[in-house]
Amino acid sequence: MRRVNRIFTVIVFIFLYIPMIVLAVASFNKGTDIAIFQGFTFDQYKELFRDDHLLRLLGNSVIIAVLSMAVATVLGTVASVGIHSMRGKLRSAVMGLTNIPMTNPDIVTGVSLALLFAFVGVMLRINAVLGFWTLLIAHITFSLPYVILNVMPKLAQMDPDLTEAALDLGCTPVQAFFKVVLHEIMPGIISGALMAFTMSLDDFVISYFVTGSGFVTLPVEIYSYTKKPIQPKVYAMFTLIFVAILILMVAMNLLQARDSSKKLRRKEARG
Amino acid sequence: MSQELIRLTNLVMEFDGERVLDSINLYINDKEFLTLLGPSGCGKTTTLRVIGGFLTPTSGDVLFDGKRINDVPAYKRKINTVFQRYALFPHLDVYDNIAFGLRIAKLDQREIDERVTEMLEIVSLKGFENRKVTSLSGGQQQRVAIARALVNRPKVLLLDEPLGALDLRLRKDMQNELKRIQQAMGITFIYVTHDQEEALTMSDTIVVMDKGKIQQIGRPEDIYNEPKNAFVADFIGESNILDGVMLEDCKVKFFGRTFTCVDKGFEKNEPVDVVIRPEDIDIVEADAGHLCGTVTSVTFKGVHYDTIVDFKGFKWLIQTTDYCPEGSYIGIRLNPEDIHIMRKSEYSGMFGDYSSYSAEYDEIADAEGSEDET
Repeated sequence: MRRVNRIFTVIVFIFLYIPMIVLAVASFNKGTDIAIFQGFTFDQYKELFRDDHLLRLLGNSVIIAVLSMAVATVLGTVASVGIHSMRGKLRSAVMGLTNIPMTNPDIVTGVSLALLFAFVGVMLRINAVLGFWTLLIAHITFSLPYVILNVMPKLAQMDPDLTEAALDLGCTPVQAFFKVVLHEIMPGIISGALMAFTMSLDDFVISYFVTGSGFVTLPVEIYSYTKKPIQPKVYAMFTLIFVAILILMVAMNLLQARDSSKKLRRKEARG
Repeated sequence: MSQELIRLTNLVMEFDGERVLDSINLYINDKEFLTLLGPSGCGKTTTLRVIGGFLTPTSGDVLFDGKRINDVPAYKRKINTVFQRYALFPHLDVYDNIAFGLRIAKLDQREIDERVTEMLEIVSLKGFENRKVTSLSGGQQQRVAIARALVNRPKVLLLDEPLGALDLRLRKDMQNELKRIQQAMGITFIYVTHDQEEALTMSDTIVVMDKGKIQQIGRPEDIYNEPKNAFVADFIGESNILDGVMLEDCKVKFFGRTFTCVDKGFEKNEPVDVVIRPEDIDIVEADAGHLCGTVTSVTFKGVHYDTIVDFKGFKWLIQTTDYCPEGSYIGIRLNPEDIHIMRKSEYSGMFGDYSSYSAEYDEIADAEGSEDET
């Protein structure tokens, strides 16, 4: 049985990672035919870094991802503290409401946001309302629940006496948050922020509906490529993005592992 | 000499319509060691949290130095707390934990240094400044928690079952330590515990609570020797509690026999609860005893034997250093000062019977007539 399990695990990993491996191999391929590996080269990468247009789009994506991450993390953390302070039934109701947008199909979210923006644009008499700001607002909106989802458990795990101890020692409620609570929930905030960042970087469907021609992100642009053959330098870029995300995720996991082993040691010390 | 520092008047606390504190009236003197004692759910921690400012009472007043402080938030009160599970800040080391309150108060670094060092000495944690609090043992964490609170020189220190998580040995040491610190620093301690022995050892005043009400307030000796009702008698130490009738001053009748006691001021023929402490009972030969019974079980407890004796179906606990084997027929003698009389209360009949079966209680009444000659 164990051997069967192990074989299946290997198969699952092959299915999960083979597309990335194929992409990475293709990015180093001398020839243009993806079916035949004609020799190793960095040419695609060199070409990528000469393509200002692609780099600008990548820059757009990163700007949106960083900004939406920052705003969503702050808002999400504040919201989590608020939700946490609610009583039983109200809290679970609000948590349910924040979770629904995550399960909502992207296309529904995208279309409804586009409609909302168009409506507000008409109300405020703004021509061509769709662009950088609507894109940013949309990304903040869909990232928020992920931040809350990551911060809430940390708040629940925290010893509620810690806040009271801070108040007892003379902190105002705001001071108590910054001097004590924030430290305790930081791992949750960081993982929430990383999730928000990757969600934003990767989003195509919602972005497609809420941005105009003035401000385009990388995924939106790439999608238009599917109608013509994809240039090999795009493979190179994707490989780089994949590696970057991989490093981020490994860092995040290491951080969490360190955090939980600290908790474990604390528990042992108590016991 | 000592003056009043805190007063609670008609304090009522309700959670979702459930009354947790029921008209609590209590004053606490400056430099006093006062203990709130009671079983879990009696309202002792709630009382503490109201004094600390973490709960606002439903009605009634909290007075501090004569001023009403109901609406003063916790961080503005000259009161500090030692929490049950310490609540040390895990991201700070020992020094920074203790210095926390002083830094909030924006004292200059030199004074912070002085006071933290002084506190570390008082709680015997010198040399632990840079240790992570998570690496400390329970007893050490406890001491950091006490130092963190006391370094602010509060007028009052609240302690919520601070020794609950420690093992017996450490608990005894810390009891003495706490008492010493309290006397050395001259701070009012309000201490919450469910451990009666702890309360008796440390307190100047004990407040016994149950079901959100104060049952008795008094010095440890008074609480032990003169319990007000069956609840207090049972909760503080062991007690045999019997139904009796007060014939006149200093004359009480129970088990069909009239005994001389030292209590006065009851109605003629008033039904009362009679308390006899297990360690006050003298065991004698059967023919020399006021009452005679059969030993049904003996348990060795180290200092004494817990001896259960069956007197016509009602079982008493007797603590004695004399070993009486199971099944032996013995007599007991009671001196007038060994008998304590209490008025009947809602707790009458609920405590103080060491029988595993209560049905036999009725048989005593039936047998009473013939018991007079014993």
